[in-house]
Amino acid sequence: MTVEAHTKTEKFIVPIGPQHPALKEPGHFEFSVEGEIVTGASIRLGFVHRGIEKGTEVRNWTQNIYILERVCGICSHVHATAYVLGVEQLAGVTAPPRAQAIRTIVGELERIHSHMLWLGVAAHEGGFDTLFMYSWRDRETVMDMLEAISGNRVHYSVNLLGGVKYDIDQKLTDQFLKGLEFLEERLTHYMKVVTTDETFVGRTKDIGKMPKDEAYMLGSIGPTGRASGVERDIRVDSPYAAYGEFPIKMVTDQAGDLQARFIVRIKELYESIREIREILGHMPESELTVKVPRRIPAGEAFSRVEAPRGELVYFLKSNGTDTPERIKIRTPSLCNWSSIINYAVGHKLADMPMLLAGIDPCFSCNDRSVTITKGGVHQTNWTWEQLRQYGIEYYR
Amino acid sequence: MKIGAMLGDIFGSLFKKPVTEMYPFVKTDAPDRLRGQLYYDPEKCSGCQLCVKDCPADAIEIITVDKVNKKFVMRYHADRCTYCAQCVESCRFACIAMSNKDWELASASRKPFEVFYGREEDVAFILDKANQPAPAEVVEG
Amino acid sequence: MNNLPPIISLLIFPGGLFLMAMGLAFEWADRKLVAQFQNRIGPRWFQPLADTVKLLAKEEIMPAGVNSTLFIMLPVVAVAAALTASLNVPLFGLTPVYSFTGDLVVALYLMSLMTLCMGLAGANSNDRFSIMGATRTLTQLFSYEAPFLLALLGPAIAAGTWNISEINTYAGNNLWMVVTQPIGAIIAIIGLMGKLELPPFDAPEAETEIVSGAMTEYSGRGLALFHIGKDVELVVGLTLVTAFYFGGLANPLFFIVKTLGLLVLTAGLQSLFARLRIDQTVGMWWRIGALMAMLQLLILVIFKGFGL
Repeated sequence: MTVEAHTKTEKFIVPIGPQHPALKEPGHFEFSVEGEIVTGASIRLGFVHRGIEKGTEVRNWTQNIYILERVCGICSHVHATAYVLGVEQLAGVTAPPRAQAIRTIVGELERIHSHMLWLGVAAHEGGFDTLFMYSWRDRETVMDMLEAISGNRVHYSVNLLGGVKYDIDQKLTDQFLKGLEFLEERLTHYMKVVTTDETFVGRTKDIGKMPKDEAYMLGSIGPTGRASGVERDIRVDSPYAAYGEFPIKMVTDQAGDLQARFIVRIKELYESIREIREILGHMPESELTVKVPRRIPAGEAFSRVEAPRGELVYFLKSNGTDTPERIKIRTPSLCNWSSIINYAVGHKLADMPMLLAGIDPCFSCNDRSVTITKGGVHQTNWTWEQLRQYGIEYYR
Repeated sequence: MKIGAMLGDIFGSLFKKPVTEMYPFVKTDAPDRLRGQLYYDPEKCSGCQLCVKDCPADAIEIITVDKVNKKFVMRYHADRCTYCAQCVESCRFACIAMSNKDWELASASRKPFEVFYGREEDVAFILDKANQPAPAEVVEG
Repeated sequence: MNNLPPIISLLIFPGGLFLMAMGLAFEWADRKLVAQFQNRIGPRWFQPLADTVKLLAKEEIMPAGVNSTLFIMLPVVAVAAALTASLNVPLFGLTPVYSFTGDLVVALYLMSLMTLCMGLAGANSNDRFSIMGATRTLTQLFSYEAPFLLALLGPAIAAGTWNISEINTYAGNNLWMVVTQPIGAIIAIIGLMGKLELPPFDAPEAETEIVSGAMTEYSGRGLALFHIGKDVELVVGLTLVTAFYFGGLANPLFFIVKTLGLLVLTAGLQSLFARLRIDQTVGMWWRIGALMAMLQLLILVIFKGFGL
C-alpha cells in the first residue's frame, strides 16, 4: 500500500479591501499567501465610479470646470488646468502670461501638498505614526497658503476659461515666501529621517525593487517610474502653462525600491519650492483673463499635464455647441497598478500596505472605464443597452 | 544609521503647547478670500441670468417680478451651492459677492438653506404668491 | 494593608475594580503622553471609560464555525490571569496581597497566559486575519519571552530570593538596579514594550495590515474584556519593572511617581520608531536581546561569585 503525500493546493487568500484600515479609499486586492510570503496578487477597482465623464456631456463648458475639478480631491487643480488648456486650444486662444504663471504657482503648491500628504500616509502604513502626524502638521502651512490665495483648502477653483480668478499681491507673496522657507527646512529634516532612521530604512530599503527595463515595459509613470530611472516628465518633455519660461529639472533615481520613491518625491518638492520662488520673483505683468466664446468651435484637442502622480491626459471633442461632445480622461494612477502586481510576489504580507501606498494611488481618479479586449468583437461605441447587457453577463 | 531620527522633534514637543486649534472655543479669523455664503445686491441686477446658466450646481434661480423696472428676486439654495464663485465672475455688474464671515452654515433642518434675496417688497410678493393655494386640479375619471 | 479581608482585597482594593480603574487611568495617561510627543492633544480623561462602556453595550456577534465555549471563555480567562498576577506584585506601593516564595515565576507565567489566550482566540476565530494575527502573537511571544525573563531574573539573583515582595524590599534598600545592571534594565524596558504589544512591536495588531489581528472577530463584551486585560497587564508590567529596577515601591507616592516616569519613557520610545516586521522582531530579539540578557546574567554570576 502506498501512502501519498498531499500538498496543500488550496490557496490562502488574504483580501485587502474594499473596506480595510489600510486603504483610505475602496479597492479590492487579493493576495494569495503562504505563511507570510505573497505568491500571487490580483486587483479589482471600480468602487467609486461616479459617471463624471457622462455627466460632462450635459453641462456647458463653464460648468464643466467645476465638475472635473471634483474628479479627485488631492489633484483637483491639475484636472481643471488640463481641461481649461484643452478648451483654450479648441477655441484658439492663449491665456495671458500672468494667468499662466499663477496657474503654475498653484499647481506647484498643490504638488507640495499632495506629496506631503503621501509622505504621511505611507509612514502610517508602515506604522510610523509620528512621521505621519508631523508631516501633516507641516502640511497645514501649504493649506493655509492655498486658502489665502483662493479661499478654499481643496478644490481651489482658481481656473476660468481663459485665465484665472485671483491675483497675487505683495502681501500674499510675503506670506508665500515665509511659508516656503519653513517648508524647506522641515523637508530637509524629513529627508534625513527617511534616509537614516534605522527602523524606517529597514521597512523601505530593497522592498519592491523594480529595474528600469521592467518599469518601461509595465508603463510606470510619474514619481514611481522616475524612481526606477524612467525619464518621463511632461513639464520637461512638452512644457505647458509657464513651464516654458521657468523650466523644471527632472528628478530621477536609479535604485527603484521603496526608499527611492520617498527620495524622489521629497527631491521633487525641493524643485517645486525653488520654482515657486523663481516665479514669484519674476511675475509677468498682464491682465488675468482673455475672452473665450460661449460656443467653442468644433474639433478635437489633447492636453497633457503632469499631475503629482504622473501624466494626466485629457481628450476633448467639441461639436460647436456650448456643451462638449466627449471628454475622456486618462489618469496616471491607472498605469501604475500593473507594476504592483509584478513586484508584490515574493514579498512578505507585512510589506503590502507600504507597497500599495508607494505608487501613491488615487482611487477616485482611477475609476474611469477601461475596456480590455481579449479577442472577439472589438467595439469602440457602446449604446446604453449594450453596456447594461454586458454588465449583466459579466456578473452572472 | 541612526536610531530614532525624530528624537529632536519628540523631545521638543514635550515642552511645547500642542498645535491643535481648540475650535469652537478659540476661533481664528478666516482669510480674506474665503468663499462663504453668497450675497446678492438687487440694485444693479439686469436679469441677464448668466449666473444661473453658469452655476454648476443649479443653486441660483432669478425670479422676475417686474422685467421693465428691473425687479428681480434671487432664490439661492445654500445646500446645493459648491462655493466655487463662478457666479461672482460671470456677473458683469458685480451683484454677487461671497462673504468671508458667514461660513458656519451647518443646520439641523432644511429651512435656512433656501434663501430669498431682493428688495423687501419683491421678496414679500414672491413669498405671498408661493403661499397661495394651488388651483384645483382636474382629475380624469 | 494586609488586614483587609481577602475578598475585599481580591475584588475591590487593591485588586479587582480598583485595578481595572487604574488600568483605564494608565491607558489614558499613555495615550495622552504619546499625543504630547506628537505635538497634539490627546483624548479627554474619560475616553477609556467611555470606550469600555460603549463596548459593553454593543451586540456580541459570534462568527459561524468557531468553538463557542472557547470563544466566550478566552477573554474571561485572559482578564482573570492578569488580575491574578496582580496579587503578587506590590501594587500601588502596598505590600502584595499574596506573597510566597517563587511568586515571581507565577506572576510571569500568568502574564504570558494572557498573551497565549489572545493567540488562541485568534486561532479559534474562523477568519484569515485572525489566524495571521494569532501566528504573529505567538511568534512574538516566543521571541521576547526568554530575554525578558532573564532580565527580570537579574534582580532576583542580586537579591537572592524568588519572592517579589522581598526583591522589592531589597531594591528599596540598595542602589537602584538600573545603575548596577544597566543592560538588564534596557532589556527589561524594551521587553515590557514587546509584552504589551506597544509600537514598535505591534506587528500582531498591525491595524494597516491585518485589521486587528487576533481580536478582529471580537466585539461587545469579549473585546471589552480583552482591552481591560491589556490595561491591567500594563499596570502590572510597569509595577514589576519599576519595583525591580527603579528602587522598589515603598509607598503609594513612589508608585505614582516612578510608574508614571517609566510610562513617559515608554511613550517616548513608542513614538520614536516605525513598526518592525515580525521577522525583524524575531531576528532582533534572538540575536541582540538574548545575547545581551545572557551577558548581563554572566556578569551578575561572576560578581556574586566574588561575594559582592
